Amino acid sequence: MKVEDVVCPFCGCLCDDLVVEVDQNRVIGVENGCTLANEKFMGDRRLENPIRKEGRSWSDITYDAAIREAADILIDADRPLLYGWSGTHGEAQSVGVHLAELLGAVIDNTSTVCHGPSIMAIQEVGHPGCTLGQVKNRADVIVYWGANPIDAHPRHMSRYTTYADGFFVKEAFKERKVIVVDVRKTESSAVADEFIKVERGGDYAILSALRAIVRGKRDLIPPKIAGVTREQLFRVADICMQAKFGAIFFGLGLTMSPGKNKNVRNAIELTEELNRHTKFTISPMRGHWNVYGSNEVFTWITGYPYAVDFARGIAFYNPGETTSVDILRRGECDACLVVASDPGAHFPRACAEHLARIPTIQIDPHVNATTHLATLQIPVAVTGIDAEGTAYRMDGVPIRTRKLFDGTYPSDLEILSKIYARVKEAKGS
Amino acid sequence: MRVILKTRPRAKPRIPIEAETIIPQNFLRKNDIRVYEGNKERKLEDLFFITVEGPAVSPDQVEVILTGDTGVIKRVGEYMNAGRIIVEGDIGMHCGNFMSAGEIIIRGNADSWLAREMRGGFIRCEGDAGHYCAAGYRGEKRGMRGGTVEVLGNAGDFAAEYLSGGEVHIHGSCGDLPGVEMRGGTLTIGGDCLRPCGNMTGGICRIFGTAHQFLPTFRKNGTEDVQYGGKHYRMAAFRGDIANRGKGRVLIRA
Ligand code: SF4
Repeated sequence: MKVEDVVCPFCGCLCDDLVVEVDQNRVIGVENGCTLANEKFMGDRRLENPIRKEGRSWSDITYDAAIREAADILIDADRPLLYGWSGTHGEAQSVGVHLAELLGAVIDNTSTVCHGPSIMAIQEVGHPGCTLGQVKNRADVIVYWGANPIDAHPRHMSRYTTYADGFFVKEAFKERKVIVVDVRKTESSAVADEFIKVERGGDYAILSALRAIVRGKRDLIPPKIAGVTREQLFRVADICMQAKFGAIFFGLGLTMSPGKNKNVRNAIELTEELNRHTKFTISPMRGHWNVYGSNEVFTWITGYPYAVDFARGIAFYNPGETTSVDILRRGECDACLVVASDPGAHFPRACAEHLARIPTIQIDPHVNATTHLATLQIPVAVTGIDAEGTAYRMDGVPIRTRKLFDGTYPSDLEILSKIYARVKEAKGS
Repeated sequence: MRVILKTRPRAKPRIPIEAETIIPQNFLRKNDIRVYEGNKERKLEDLFFITVEGPAVSPDQVEVILTGDTGVIKRVGEYMNAGRIIVEGDIGMHCGNFMSAGEIIIRGNADSWLAREMRGGFIRCEGDAGHYCAAGYRGEKRGMRGGTVEVLGNAGDFAAEYLSGGEVHIHGSCGDLPGVEMRGGTLTIGGDCLRPCGNMTGGICRIFGTAHQFLPTFRKNGTEDVQYGGKHYRMAAFRGDIANRGKGRVLIRA
């Protein structure tokens, strides 16, 4: 059976035009997807049932026993951490936040290691953004800053920018100018009209210089800044100011290089400056398919997008203090629940070591690096394959993912709701 | 009155203690003082051996001495308005938040957000300070607004972010972006630093070491002579940050 208009639950593009061929409860073919999507749908090898570590070996346990044990571990903890959330749907994330409040836990999502600094910058100076549809139909100048979409978001260029014809941009490839800023040549920089090769850590200075140039202070700019010539910066500033509609997309090259949120703030303030001349927008290239959703869900319930600490019963947020990497590196938390993420693969070694020291419960369909640090793993259905739910695309547009077949696994929502019910009962609330 | 708080051994010593109640005025009233250990509320005496010596009739006669494993105790001195706190070792984050008067002396190192949004009083850290020393809370438009912070060692990144008033003196070096978004007050850095004063709009920053990767958006504005540590220095003067229409002043040892 072929299912049409399937949403890809892999990256923040959330492409919703895939055609997936299903044979009973197995995907046997994917059309329109990129290689990442193909691997997500076709290379789906799951853990069969919950497992529990005893000494150095694993044993199978039932779902009921696993849920009981997970709840008991979290109830006993004085500083539990609930981390992950970007690889599951909004409904499950919502239960996660309520669980954190009930436990007095810290709840954090993967923004902590990707676009957290972008949100901090947005909190300081706002977000002149727009939807990807606006970019596709209007933008004649595209800037990719510290991002390599061809590798990380393979269909971003073909669906929304370089190769996507739009209502006001009839022949996109000819009409759109693409500027790439990066510390090295990439596949994306190879298709750019202008490639700014900046020295590592030089983004902040380049952004400040561009802001000054756009403000007409060209006399101030020295011949070379962070490896970039003044002439190139003048040229790029002119391209941006002459654009009818410009769109900046930035990635981890900006958010995770020295300066972090201040780099993003500088980029937002450049966008504001450009808006004195023309229409310009700026948007983060969100990675996990529903990381934007985790920020939305956390914010509408707690007021904060990630790193929310409920230890005192009310929500407190302070990246650097309540972010998972910092909590784990300091060895603060005494239990951890990982949902739909793989901190064992993404976090610094000291954090992984602490995860291995404390009881760590993982809710995830697959065996991954975190499995080896965990004491308990509960496999679940994959949202977008055998579970459905709401996700947010990188531009904040909510999209309902589809269930392609009825599988045998419970969803994240079911497991988390059962843990929540047990904790609630134990706390008598 | 002297109150000595010595930490008791704990089963999980790395779990932070939140103790904004440790301020001199609270000990005067002899209230039932509570602190948090992780997500559990505790009585002060559950976590500290408490010794009280002598009387006091006003908060400025109260001296609180913290000793033992104090490096994970957060928010000590928050909203303090009189008296004195002496920390014999290290202190956790947010020490002296919103403090308006009084004195805090830290013999060891201070963790991040020392003197966050401080309004008055005096803090001296004899070791190193962490990141965001004398800065603001996330999204806050003003950091420290008054008073004096002196760090005898080094400070981490984003020292004096959004500094709006008062005086910050780091005797050692600073990390990345000290004085970023600064809008008033005085920041003095005895040692080196990286990319000082990005996006500043006001205030004065004086750097007596090397300012690495100084931003291109500051306009040279002659020289100035200043006194520092009993010596006379000739400083190169800059105005900026031009990227932000800023009118701040940066003086760097010539
Ligand atoms: S670009 Fe992203 S969302 Fe689109 S098909 Fe590829 S992995 Fe899936």
